[in-house]
This record gives sequence, C-alpha cells and structure tokens, in this order.
Amino acid sequence: MTLLESITRKLKRDTKTALEKPSEFRKDVAYTIEGIQRGVVDPKDVAIRALSTIATVVFVFVLLIPVYWVLLMALQGEGATLYSSESAGLIPTDVTFEAFIWVIGDLYIPGAVVGIAIPFTGIEFFLSWPRVYFLQTADYGVEGSSNFTHYLRNSMFIGVATVTIAMAMIVPAAYAFSRREFYGRMKLLYGYVLFTQIGGGLGIAALIALYAIFSNLGVTNNRLVLSIYYAAMAVPFNTWLLKTYMDSIPVSYEEAAVMDGASPFRVAWEIVLPLAKPGLATIFIFIFLVGWMEFIIAQVVLRPENYTLPIGLFMMVEEFTVPWGRFSAFALLYASPIVFIYLLAQRYIESGLSFGGVEG
Amino acid sequence: MSISSVGARSRQGYRAVVPENVREWIETNSAGLLVLPGLFFFSLFMFFPLLFTIYLSLTDAEPATVFQDGPGGVTGFFGLRGEETFVGLGNYTAIMTDPGFWNSLGVTWLFVICSVALKVAFGVGLAMIMTSEKVRGKRYLRSIIIIPWALPPIFTITIWRGIFSSARFGLANQFLMTIGMEPQAWFSSRWMAFSTYLITEMWLAYPFMVIITVSALQAVPDELLDAAKVDGAGFYHRFVNVTIPAIKRPVMFAAILTAAASFTQFLIPFVFNRGAPGRDNQLIILYGYQEAFSHDAYGAGAAIMMTAVFFIGIFMLFAVWKGRLAEGVNG
Repeated sequence: MTLLESITRKLKRDTKTALEKPSEFRKDVAYTIEGIQRGVVDPKDVAIRALSTIATVVFVFVLLIPVYWVLLMALQGEGATLYSSESAGLIPTDVTFEAFIWVIGDLYIPGAVVGIAIPFTGIEFFLSWPRVYFLQTADYGVEGSSNFTHYLRNSMFIGVATVTIAMAMIVPAAYAFSRREFYGRMKLLYGYVLFTQIGGGLGIAALIALYAIFSNLGVTNNRLVLSIYYAAMAVPFNTWLLKTYMDSIPVSYEEAAVMDGASPFRVAWEIVLPLAKPGLATIFIFIFLVGWMEFIIAQVVLRPENYTLPIGLFMMVEEFTVPWGRFSAFALLYASPIVFIYLLAQRYIESGLSFGGVEG
Repeated sequence: MSISSVGARSRQGYRAVVPENVREWIETNSAGLLVLPGLFFFSLFMFFPLLFTIYLSLTDAEPATVFQDGPGGVTGFFGLRGEETFVGLGNYTAIMTDPGFWNSLGVTWLFVICSVALKVAFGVGLAMIMTSEKVRGKRYLRSIIIIPWALPPIFTITIWRGIFSSARFGLANQFLMTIGMEPQAWFSSRWMAFSTYLITEMWLAYPFMVIITVSALQAVPDELLDAAKVDGAGFYHRFVNVTIPAIKRPVMFAAILTAAASFTQFLIPFVFNRGAPGRDNQLIILYGYQEAFSHDAYGAGAAIMMTAVFFIGIFMLFAVWKGRLAEGVNG
C-alpha cells in the first residue's frame, strides 16, 4: 500500500465521518432528551455539560481571534479597513477579493516568437503567440500588484535547494544511527537532541560572526549559500526524527534480504528507504519549512532582489501607513500552505510526526 | 601491469603500513562515515561562527576594519580576518560598565520569568479544560487550539503588531473603545510595550505547553482521582495532591525548554518597535544585534552575544541535569 493510497483511504473515511456527524449529534440530543423525560439522566448534569462546552468554544474562539481578524481584513479589501471603523466588526461586510488579487498580481504566459528551422531542407517556420493571461489585475480594478511572485520564486529556490542538500546529508546519517554501531554514536545523538531543544538561540547569537564570515568570503546575497546554511541547521532535528522513524521498522525484512544475498547498499536502498517513506515525507516538509519560515538570517544576508517571503511580509508591516487589507491577504497566502501541510501531515502521515512521546 | 594488480598492491601496502588494531577500528566504525557529512556542515555553520564570535569579541572590529583585506594566510584565517586589532578583554570590561547592557540583561530575565510563569499557568489551565470530562468534542477543540503552533513566527508576530497598532483600527484599540476607554499608543510607553511582548510570546508558545501537559494529564490514572473524590477531596485538593505531582516533571522540562526560547527571543521586539522606547526594551540578542549593525561596534556586539551564549549554555546544562532528555534518545 503506498502512502498516497493510505492518504486517500483516510480522507474518504474522514469525509464519511464528517458527513455522519450531524445526524449522530441529533441522535445524541434525542437520546439525552428521552433520558431526561424518563428520569434516567439528571437535567442539571446535562445543563452543566452544555454550558461548559459552550463556554469552552467561546473561549477558544476568543483565543484564536487574531487568525480570524486577519481573514476578515483580507476579505474586506483595501478602503474598508483603513478609514471606517464600523467595518471592523466581527462579521464581514462588503466581501471582496481585491486584496488577494493585488497580492498575486498578473498571471500570464509571456508572449514570444519562436523560429524553428529544419536542418538540410531549408524549411523554416515561425510560431508566435501573444501573452496569455490567466489573471489580469486591471480586470478587477486593482492598480499595480505586490512582489509576492518574486519573493515566492526566491523562497521556492531556497526551499528546493535546502531540501536537496539536507536530504543528501540526513538520510545516510539517520540510517547509520538507526542500524549501525560506531564510535561516539550515542554521544552524538545526545548532542543532536540537546541542540534541537535548546540550541535554536545559538544560531542567532552567532549572527554577527556569520555575517562577517559571509561578507569576507563575498557570499552574502547568495541564495545557494543560504540554502547550505539552512540545510546544515536542519541536520540535528531531522536526523534524529528520521532515525526514530527508522527504528520503528522491523529488522526482520533486512535480515531476510541479507539471507537472500543482498549487499548492504541494496538492503538500505531497496528495503529501508521505501519502508521509511512516511518518515521521509515528514522530514521533507520540516526541512522545506526551515527556508520558508526563517527570517532573521535571511534579512541580514540577502539584498532586495533575493528577498524571500518572510522578508516581504516584514517589509509590508514596516511601511509608514500599513495597508492592512493587503497585508493580511499577503500574510494568509504566505502562511496557508504551512497550516494546510501541518494539519494534513498530522492526520494523514501516520506516526511520521510522533516522536519522543509528543504527538504533533 | 593490470589494474587489478595495482589494487592488490595498494591493499598490500595498506596492510603493511596500517597496524592491525587500527584497521579493525576503522572496519567496525566505518558506518560513522555516513554521519560525517551532516556533522561536518553542522559544525561548520554552528561552531565555527561561534568560535569566530569569540575572536571578534576580543577585537575592535567595526565595518571599516573587519571587511578590509586582512593579512591572509594561516594567521589571517585565510582571508577571514580584516584589519581589526586585538584588544583583549576590552569589549567585556566596556559592556560591564555600560548601563544599557545591564538594563537589557535585566529586562531579558524579567521577560523570561514573566513569560514562563504566564505560559505555564495558561498552558496548564487550558490543558485542564481540554481534558475535562464536562466538555464535549475535546478532540476537535484540541486540534484547533494548537493552530498557532503551525503558523510561522514571522506571520504571528507581524499580525500581533497589527493588533497593537497605535491607530484606532488596531484590534486592541477597537476593544478598548468598545468597553469605553481611550485608544492607546501601545509601543511608546516602556511597560505597555513590554506587556505586549509578553502577550504575544504567550500566544506563540501556549500550544507547546498544552500538548505536553495534555499528554501528561492523560497519563494520570483515573483511579487515583476517583479515590481522592471518594475520600472527599475537593477540586483544589485533588489538583494539588494528585494532579500536580503527576504532571510536575514533564511540565518542568517543558518550562526549561520554553525559558531558553524566551531568553533568545529576538523577533518580537525587533518587529514590534526595535525595543523602543530608546533601548529600554531591547532583549539581549536584539541589544547585541543593534550594537553591531546599527552602532557599527562588531566587537562589542560579539561580546554581548557571548554573554547570551553563556546563558544558553547554562540552560543546556540545566536541561541535561534536570530534564528527561535521555528518554528521547533510545538505542
């Protein structure tokens, strides 16, 4: 069973459960009412439960108001949030997608003329097509657009480079930690865990020296060098995570393969790696998010043409009069993939996220 | 001479040169090679900059000197050194007499103490609600309240800056106006700005505390609580005598981790108002950062960062000594 199949199966089951919930709830209520009428259930008990549940739901809503507020402002577009105070109630009025359109900007395939010559025949013909628009901001009365796509390109570049470099270092190391014995193995593992949990601040503390080193080597404003840095920072946590996942794969498969005469490399490549797919998917996400979320180092090292999404977000909030509607749309478009991935991973990539007794 | 004979001869040479016990050691530890690339790069980007921070803290480095072409060669760290000169412990004595540094260190510790107390109290309280038998649908609520955990810190912090915006449409000011109070300029008074840091830090970190505490609370045996109930213990006594002893260790450990995170908090003051008014609210990392990048004193900045590293080291020792770190490392 592949990972995708298991995800689709779980998705189906979840949809079914979600659809059945209302009727189940109605049955529950009917059962409780019947219980009260027959005198089996104490009405005071029911009242306490209902009240405390409602109170908790209200409390959770108040706690998460910042998220709701962002959503609201993004949906109200520009003018509504800045100047009129009555628009900022808890229920949105005048819903527009103007702010989102401004953030995304024009989407098009650039027009071009391509000449194709077939050699030795002298036949030559030209293909040309105009600019093909998927989304034109002017159609919606939105002037200009943000640099979102520009930042996105930089973030994607850094994310992909970070994942590639980090995977090359982490996967062999996790395998060695999980399956082999070597000098200093436990000590190193212990050190990695310690860094994962407390060491986050050390990276920022070394920021000044890092900048001086990068400047002296002439590699500031270099996306690839920054990716290598992120990959290196991702090593301790993700090696440990993948190692814990590999530990949960039974050794008997490998023993069987060894009995059949497979070389150690083949055992690792054809048995351990395929079985570790959920773990690999998990660390893939975590490593990708390092570059997607990191702000401090990127902000010191990069120049405007290489700015990533977090810096773009920060630039918007630094403006003299912050366009809150547009800012919120930018922030949501930036954060929503992460929330989506987290929730998905939490539910559907089984046991990939459970480590050290902490279920994510 | 065939290629295979070259191989055979070099193998012979290897056997002749390398003693048997060394060869054996290499053979049994060869898997360590798989770990080395990651370890190498991690050390290169983690420990080398830290060592370089120590070096910088002992010099008078500033942009005018540190980015010049230095002596080169081995003594110039192959071009990493600029024209800065060695001043010994001068930077350290200078920051020791700098009232701004002591203020920053004091504010940082105040921030750590207040925020950890808030986070623990709020996290445990929320976890109690989320495991209470009187509340229905706890599983769904639990997965909703940890959403802030999944949000990128820069997202959360910029949003909270919007909430505490001094203009009338900031959410905090709207709330004040609804209950009939005047809108406030949140970031311009020292302690008000400090409280906004605290609230934001709490919102950032409560999901972590809730997750740890909920899993600890679920491990409390129901029989114990029932027995206490039968013996006539009220809610308070049950909480103090049964629940607290059961969840003390995990919560304690989570508090150490989150205290270390609070100590190195940089983004909140940086994004909110750069630690204004003045440099009153610059937490220690931000203070060092500003010293280097706004006041051009790289040497003094590095010395301030080293004091932060010193405290992070203490947090690490504390975690090793007190914590259950080893339980995550099995086999």
